[in-house]
Amino acid sequence: MIKRSKTFKGGYIFQRYLSNPLDTLLEQGIPEKVIIPLAQGFGSEVKLLVKKGDKVSAGQIIGRDDENVSSPVHSSVFGTVEEIKRMNYFKRELEMVVIRADKTQKDYLRVEGFNPDWAKLRQEELEKILYLSGVTALDREGIPTRFKSSVIPPSGVENIIVHGVGSEPYNISLELLLNGKKILNLIDGLRILNTIMPGANMYLALNSRKQKLLEEINKIAVKYKWLKVVPLEPKYPQGYDEMLIPTLLNQRFPYGYSAANIGVVVLNIQAVLSVYEAVCEGKPLIERIIALCGPGLKEPLHVKARIGTPLGEIITPRLNEKLKSRIVLNSLMTGVKLNDLTLPISRTFSHLIAIPEGDKREFLAFMRPGLRQQSYSHTFASSLLPFFNKTADTNLHGEERPCISCSYCEEVCPVGIIPHLLSKYIKRNMIDETLMNYNIFNCIECGLCTFVCPSKIPLLQHLKEGKDKLTMQGCDHAQCILPYFDMKGIEEYRGVTKL
Amino acid sequence: MQLVKNILDSLHNASQKNKLLGMFKPVLNAIDGFFFGTPHVTSIPHIVDPLDIKRFMSFVIIALIPAVLGAIYAWGLRVIAVIIVSYLFGGLIEVAFAIARKKEVHEGFLVTGLIFPLILPPNVPLWVVAIGVMFGVLFGKEVFGGTGRNIFNPAIAGRIFLTIAFPQIMSVKWPLPFTSGLGGFVHYQNSVDAVTSATPLALFKTQMLLTPYTQLFFGQGTGCIGETFRIGLILGGLFLILLKIVDWRIPFAYLFSVAAFSFLGNQFLHTHFAPPLFQLLSGGLLLGAFFMATDPVTSPFTKQGRWIAGVSLGVLTVLIRGLSGYVEGVMFSILLLNVFGPLIDLLVLKVRYRKKIVTAQK
Repeated sequence: MIKRSKTFKGGYIFQRYLSNPLDTLLEQGIPEKVIIPLAQGFGSEVKLLVKKGDKVSAGQIIGRDDENVSSPVHSSVFGTVEEIKRMNYFKRELEMVVIRADKTQKDYLRVEGFNPDWAKLRQEELEKILYLSGVTALDREGIPTRFKSSVIPPSGVENIIVHGVGSEPYNISLELLLNGKKILNLIDGLRILNTIMPGANMYLALNSRKQKLLEEINKIAVKYKWLKVVPLEPKYPQGYDEMLIPTLLNQRFPYGYSAANIGVVVLNIQAVLSVYEAVCEGKPLIERIIALCGPGLKEPLHVKARIGTPLGEIITPRLNEKLKSRIVLNSLMTGVKLNDLTLPISRTFSHLIAIPEGDKREFLAFMRPGLRQQSYSHTFASSLLPFFNKTADTNLHGEERPCISCSYCEEVCPVGIIPHLLSKYIKRNMIDETLMNYNIFNCIECGLCTFVCPSKIPLLQHLKEGKDKLTMQGCDHAQCILPYFDMKGIEEYRGVTKL
Repeated sequence: MQLVKNILDSLHNASQKNKLLGMFKPVLNAIDGFFFGTPHVTSIPHIVDPLDIKRFMSFVIIALIPAVLGAIYAWGLRVIAVIIVSYLFGGLIEVAFAIARKKEVHEGFLVTGLIFPLILPPNVPLWVVAIGVMFGVLFGKEVFGGTGRNIFNPAIAGRIFLTIAFPQIMSVKWPLPFTSGLGGFVHYQNSVDAVTSATPLALFKTQMLLTPYTQLFFGQGTGCIGETFRIGLILGGLFLILLKIVDWRIPFAYLFSVAAFSFLGNQFLHTHFAPPLFQLLSGGLLLGAFFMATDPVTSPFTKQGRWIAGVSLGVLTVLIRGLSGYVEGVMFSILLLNVFGPLIDLLVLKVRYRKKIVTAQK
């Protein structure tokens, strides 16, 4: 059944980096106190249900809003509410609940109505469990239920894509997430989703290089006609909704909108496992598996941490003290730099990456053979010796120079725009419809153009700037999309989809 | 390493105190950057490709090394003198402009300064080299705004200027190469008495003589400094293509269309058009196709544009070689295509991003 795996034009396959997370999972344990933001993942901020001094239990709903698109928020520990404050959390001004934890109690309240034999549950019961457990807030557009957890109702879903492509430089380990019985849990999770959204086709997209895993899953998946297992090349940015939909469904993507608007729900593996845990074990969404990776750590591994645990507690003791490291959230290509380690983790966290800050100068840097360099061109010894894991640091590796139109950026661009051309327009302040005509609003900000540029031009920054300036002039991306698509649920609230 | 650092530091201090020396800051910065790389860090994305322009350009120079060695063997150690003059005077203009603009010295010149001597006749006087390279860098590149903004390939601009200004020097006297023993590695230049002869292309044009292919291949024919050692050029070109430094489309389309159109021409008008293999292996075609037509700044940047440019280059070269008064057509066709490059790109972009008719789905 070896078929050539589907892919898209452009993109770049990262070779394996040093310090990818090992397949070990540590319990982070209960922290002294947790800080729980009242908007996590997809959805608007929910209304607070507790007040200062209240005793709360792990798994108790402390925030809920049934009027707007949102999912309930739980306390992740047993303890007392110490403080309720508004603070800035990743560019959003949010209400935060600070809970002093009782470290002795490691249990949690189960979600009402869960049943290990989930097949006995009716569809609305399943939806209710998912909603109450908070699982519906996961991923970019959430899981649709009748409780306004996503912008579209379950009946509006035509396709569900579950992906574990792992196209980023550092990825959470699929083998760890799906070890042993977890594969069966995954399949059960998929079946639960199928029960809720019976009309939808389900695609399970997995890294085509993980043959063993694929075979195991295929053995089980053949039983279900509605489920298609698709191997995909781990080519960055394949894991983006914008790339998964054209590759799997041969459908154009409404750039700037979300997959839900064209009736597609995109979830990752961890979300589906959480679906299973909520329905069959009654576990609310109070824990996340987080991959700690990068050469800035003593030992790269995975931890299971309660939501609301301050970042510092997870990462500071594991950092290599000899190196000055930069800590990045979720993705080295697009993630934000974490400066304030007192911030808590939320439902959206999946990776914490620490790479050495490369502000040291290197003697004759441009002449080095480069055994461990990750390069798009083949000018480093590493392209002859791919089995060496690659290093990552934040050095710019060269001075900024004028563009020489080498068109590397055009070759890697996954959405077929010409970054260097647009950047020249934007730098000269020639901002008009020409940019729109050159599809500037297709840019999904994957950052590959800036990654490959030998002239070290911050192309991504220029493109963002261009988009902002165009929008200020009244040219909106809606003009490029709305006439061509039949969109669902766009009048509803749209949350911050990406950090 | 520490020594270089100390010297640079003391120079830096001196330049801060002395105003006159302060003007040369771009040069200092360039040297500093050359030795020590950059302390700057990324923003988003957090990692970047380690390839920079210095390395990018260094690889073009590495790819030219076989051709340069072949040239030294064939024409004597004088070739080194020519290259040094070219770097010196071209570098002068480059640095002068960097100082005047208060910008960094850019690395693009490293390639120009090496390619330019390779497209000159072996016995070119050194003062002509200096004039040519200064003209090329000044009018081919700097007047347009420096690296990245030039329309013309500076080396070709300089060469064409010399061809027009000094036709006698540039196209009449062609010395014979060294062909045996250590050859040019131990001589300054072939003795002036050595018989001068016409280039293979000129021989074909005037007497319908075809030089043997092995002679052409291994650099035993006459011609410009760097164009005769063709096996070295082919190796260097393939090296660049394999490393993704140059796009394979232009050389492939160029060479293929030269072969195709000279085959057609040869079929119908064999007195004017030489056979394909001869055309491929004579003149500056290989040097031009692999190292000059592929200059990313002056060639079209779209893939389709590169195909169009490659094919038109081939047609033009065959036509100029066959039907015009000039013997060689590579330089002229590349210069002409440099002019049309932006236009080709514009047309390609017009087709690619044409306005779609507004129709709602379903």
